[in-house]
Amino acid sequence: MTDTAATTGQNADATGKAAGVTSEMQFHPQPQAGPATPWAFPAPERGALPNGLTVLRCHRPGQQLVAVEIFLAAPLEAEPQNLDGVATIMSRAFTEGTDKHSAEEFAAELERCGATLDAFADHPGVRVSLEVPVSRLPKALGLLADALRAPAFADGEIERLVRNRLDEIPHEAANPSRRAAKQLSKELFPASLRMSRPRQGTEETVKNIDSAAVRAFYEAHVRPATATAVVVGDLDGTDLDAVLADTLGEWTGNTAEPRPMTPITADDTGRVVIVDRPGAVQTQLLIGRIGADRHDRLWPAQVLGTYCLGGTLTSRLDRVLREEKGYTYGVRAFGQVLRSAADGTGAAMLAISGSVDTESTGPALDDLWKVLRTLAAEGLTDAERDVAVQNLVGVAPLKYETASAVAGTLADQVEQQLPDDFQAQLYAKLAQTGTVEATAAVVNAFPVDRLVTVLVGDASQIAEPVRALNIGEVTVVTG
Amino acid sequence: MRTIVDRPTDNADLGPSVAGRGASWAGVPQHVPKKSARNGNFADRRCACIQWQDSTAGLVQYAIEGTYMPMGHTATAQAGSGGLTATEHRLANGLRVILSEDHLTPVAAVCLWYDVGSRHEVKGRTGLAHLFEHLMFQGSAQVHGNGHFELVQGAGGSLNGTTSFERTNYFETMPAHQLELALWLEADRMGSLLTALDDESMENQRDVVKNERRQRYDNVPYGTAFEKLTALMYPEGHPYHHTPIGSMADLDAATLEDARAFFRTYYAPNNAVLSVVGDIDPEQTLAWVEKYFGSIPGHDGKQPPRDGSLPDVIGGELREVVEEEVPARALMAAYRLPSDGTREADAADLALTVLGGGESSRLHNRLVRRDQTAVAAGFGLLRLAGAPSLGWLDVKTSGGVEVPQIEAAVDEELARFAAEGPTDEEMERAQAQLEREWLDRLGTVAGRADELCRYAVLFGDPQLALTAVGRVLEITAEEVQAVAKARLRPDNRAVLVYEPLAAAADADAQEDQQEGADQ
Repeated sequence: MTDTAATTGQNADATGKAAGVTSEMQFHPQPQAGPATPWAFPAPERGALPNGLTVLRCHRPGQQLVAVEIFLAAPLEAEPQNLDGVATIMSRAFTEGTDKHSAEEFAAELERCGATLDAFADHPGVRVSLEVPVSRLPKALGLLADALRAPAFADGEIERLVRNRLDEIPHEAANPSRRAAKQLSKELFPASLRMSRPRQGTEETVKNIDSAAVRAFYEAHVRPATATAVVVGDLDGTDLDAVLADTLGEWTGNTAEPRPMTPITADDTGRVVIVDRPGAVQTQLLIGRIGADRHDRLWPAQVLGTYCLGGTLTSRLDRVLREEKGYTYGVRAFGQVLRSAADGTGAAMLAISGSVDTESTGPALDDLWKVLRTLAAEGLTDAERDVAVQNLVGVAPLKYETASAVAGTLADQVEQQLPDDFQAQLYAKLAQTGTVEATAAVVNAFPVDRLVTVLVGDASQIAEPVRALNIGEVTVVTG
Repeated sequence: MRTIVDRPTDNADLGPSVAGRGASWAGVPQHVPKKSARNGNFADRRCACIQWQDSTAGLVQYAIEGTYMPMGHTATAQAGSGGLTATEHRLANGLRVILSEDHLTPVAAVCLWYDVGSRHEVKGRTGLAHLFEHLMFQGSAQVHGNGHFELVQGAGGSLNGTTSFERTNYFETMPAHQLELALWLEADRMGSLLTALDDESMENQRDVVKNERRQRYDNVPYGTAFEKLTALMYPEGHPYHHTPIGSMADLDAATLEDARAFFRTYYAPNNAVLSVVGDIDPEQTLAWVEKYFGSIPGHDGKQPPRDGSLPDVIGGELREVVEEEVPARALMAAYRLPSDGTREADAADLALTVLGGGESSRLHNRLVRRDQTAVAAGFGLLRLAGAPSLGWLDVKTSGGVEVPQIEAAVDEELARFAAEGPTDEEMERAQAQLEREWLDRLGTVAGRADELCRYAVLFGDPQLALTAVGRVLEITAEEVQAVAKARLRPDNRAVLVYEPLAAAADADAQEDQQEGADQ
């Protein structure tokens, strides 16, 4: 490669010392990439324990911190009426004592391993995530197995978790982005669908939860036969079969038929709901609807198109809203699977999210709609598509450097009833997706007249400019 | 729990990455943000960043929140350097270079620390270092407009920049075969930023930063708590009295000439450390570094920052009560602690971990489990090299509980801890937790690159990054007790009490009735 001094520096208007500095620097042409090292998303080995527990294992050399992900087929939809939040309380209660340890002892034992253990309930089911140095995997996996096999669900601990959960609710309501998410779900989904209501329950439902309700939910929906464990890390030197047999292998339970899922439907009639926050210095935007999930063959094109629309700072939305107009710190478009199943009953939330200063709310939404209309009218460019593919595919080795990232994706695939090589195939499909397909997918994903817009902000300042945009009927709700 | 190390930093570029969005520290700390963040937003709820936040006792790190910033892992089980090595080099223009090979994954991290942060700012120009960091992404002689972003992302890389009290960092994680591009880009802006810097970028990024401030500080409950605590803790005129985000008035006042002068003063190869970590050929990498950075002239325009030293203890409690629209009462406090880079700082880290790190800590057990007076309670440590470190207590009250009740319990626990010291088991747990957190940081190429720069810039020796875990494991229970006794005292803290406005509290209660909870 020839070194050539660029002249740009000498021509610039920088004065004095700066011009002196640049004139002395020797510039070189932009370097070309070297030969890429092949990288593939790791393929797990699939098996099962005698108790019916499905196990996916994946050896990642050098990953001394092992990640374990457990998926329990205990969906939020299975929560009894008026007990929204029982799956969340159950998840939290897993770490609050077992037949061997009190709640405080359990937390202490876990931290003594240098481990972290987290559990949460979502629409597809409950996920439990453990991370621990491989040397302490047997002990930590023993604690995890105890938590799943014999949770104490002591009255006092459940009462405490319920009170704690009730205390959290006002904090969530006060947070503009959380408040917007709650409102959007309420708007989009029919009241009969569990998805229309907060994942972790409301004050009215959480207060009804007691240890009997938690235990009943556990007994009805938690068993090894409908659970999967994903173990990722440097497993050389660990007899994983023996460790699993001594820990999760001790968990017993009956079998159960797969639970049919209610198909997800949504009302995406174009409209605007303002959640009034008098005096707010910014407006939180959340604009969404539902669309294709990972079982849809359009998924790769939708991922690609959505990235071009709002995946990063140089995508279409931020190019205008941030880098040209300065209305925001950043606006993102994304698709997030809500629940997904092989039978096609699932869906993804497709949304655009960000916050803009109060004064710029009307102009920012106007520009946002213009970006969408222009995209629909003119489509993506080949250059945009190429850069997006290079990014989405190219970052894979960075994204999956750690065991926990790999385990998380493998568990997502299990939870969404996808084949174990889904992610690996996705990269191949992204590379094969053309500009026309990506354009069609993103335009279909974000049609200008089928978007529900939630704005958390000062209604007295923003309602009028937003009405003037004619992007749908505008209503104002409190808080 | 250790870390709020990078809490007071501000990102240039990516805007609201997933980490910053849901799990605001303004929400409920402790384990709650992790769980609720995952469920609460439609963003990538399983970004590894969320793991990171959970390890911070609720004092969420905003700093290193690049899109694909991998957190956690390759931690080696053994203490000490875990087999990691690093070599040091210096170019003729003064640029220090640190290389660390790791061929496990075909990725390479480039990290560049400039020895300038908000502590170097002058009165009337707070926020300038951070605003300037944004301008570093607006193009240079051979890189047009947002080219820095476009080229890195188009090469399959991720990138970001952050500003803290003590430094400004820029980093790219690249597929290994694209390493040279990242070096070329960093060199271009180090040597020629001013040729591209213009009014248009300045005005645009001023607006972006002001919106960043609104989003992360002004428009969230308790959002300005850290700013208030810092202002209490470090007296008027002290270089750490203001936080990196700066004030709206100063952001408005900054001029293009200020930005130019800032670059001329602080952005020089001899005021920077470059680290390259990962699947690299050290000889080739060094040749590239020489090629691209070697001709950038060094200069000595920089003045040392104002002295940040303060007496070991404050000598009397400072206190501010804030009445604001917040969802619950809160007791926060900043304790003056030993500076980073000392055994005492590591001992303080362990003390805060035992007291308020995680779900087996004394404060969690007392306030959340037993008394049930708090929804969350935790301690975090902001390690600072050029001023006393800051131990940050954060308790959000439960239901109608009053702050004095919480405060009495906290004081009792701290006094008991100072009198008795940690138990052997508590030491074991705290050391295991800190060990995992350290190994997490050193286990990814990006984390290691950042830590190598940190120790080189702040302590003059990057090798200290590789032995940090060992130092934490050497600390004795006696040292932990000693630092608690000397520092975790009511006369050595600034207290911030939040009281909700009565009207707001009523309205919130009503709204919850109507709308139910967030999801």
